Amino acid sequence: MPERLLNRLKERRNDFGLTQAELAEKVGVTRKTVNTVENGVFTPSATLAIKLAQALNVPVEELFWIER
Amino acid sequence: MDDYGWGFLAGIAIGLIIVAIVKFRLRAKPMSVAEKADYLSGRRARMLPILAIIYITQQATYFTVPSGAAHRAVDDVKISAWLVFSIILLAALSTKGFWLERREVRSMIDDELSRANRQDAMQFGFVFAMLTCIVIYAVTMFEPVNGRDAVHVILSDGLGAALIRWGWLERVAHRDA
Repeated sequence: MPERLLNRLKERRNDFGLTQAELAEKVGVTRKTVNTVENGVFTPSATLAIKLAQALNVPVEELFWIER
Repeated sequence: MDDYGWGFLAGIAIGLIIVAIVKFRLRAKPMSVAEKADYLSGRRARMLPILAIIYITQQATYFTVPSGAAHRAVDDVKISAWLVFSIILLAALSTKGFWLERREVRSMIDDELSRANRQDAMQFGFVFAMLTCIVIYAVTMFEPVNGRDAVHVILSDGLGAALIRWGWLERVAHRDA
């Protein structure tokens, strides 16, 4: 079974009351990038994953994990 | 000035007019850097398939001129304009694009997803161009192909395929789940 990177970005973002556009602005990317990461269409780089985790104030491994 | 020169000028003039219209329309919309980057990125996603169709249909200009037909100045102008269009599209594909925007807007538009999509599109275009080369090579075994025609087809196929792929990837990225 192929490995997949899953995330709870949407859930954490909603907890913070942020829109995709607001979170995107915080980490310096466009809304579409946040959208594709949330949907699992795009696997972010380590840099972006860390920035997202910092923006949502959670450890990166709590935001992203690998499904085997 | 010869006909090719007029074609180059026509292509550049059309490009400048489009840029002027776009800049004029954007003046009326005060936006933050992030809003503007998102707006322009969305507009690019909508425009790319249209540009690809225009670009590919322009091939008719080149290939509808019969080989034995009398030389017409208008064909030279069209072919030169097509060449300018090719250069602009290639530059848009291989750079951040939006050359007249502020640096921070350009950087945000060209974020890591955009770069990944562009690279994917360029790879797709390269493979498509190589496949076109193989087809042309096979055709030359049965029928001679003019060198200029071959280059025209390879450039058009590679660039056209890359644009379609890029447009599709960008549209998928903008689609909400």
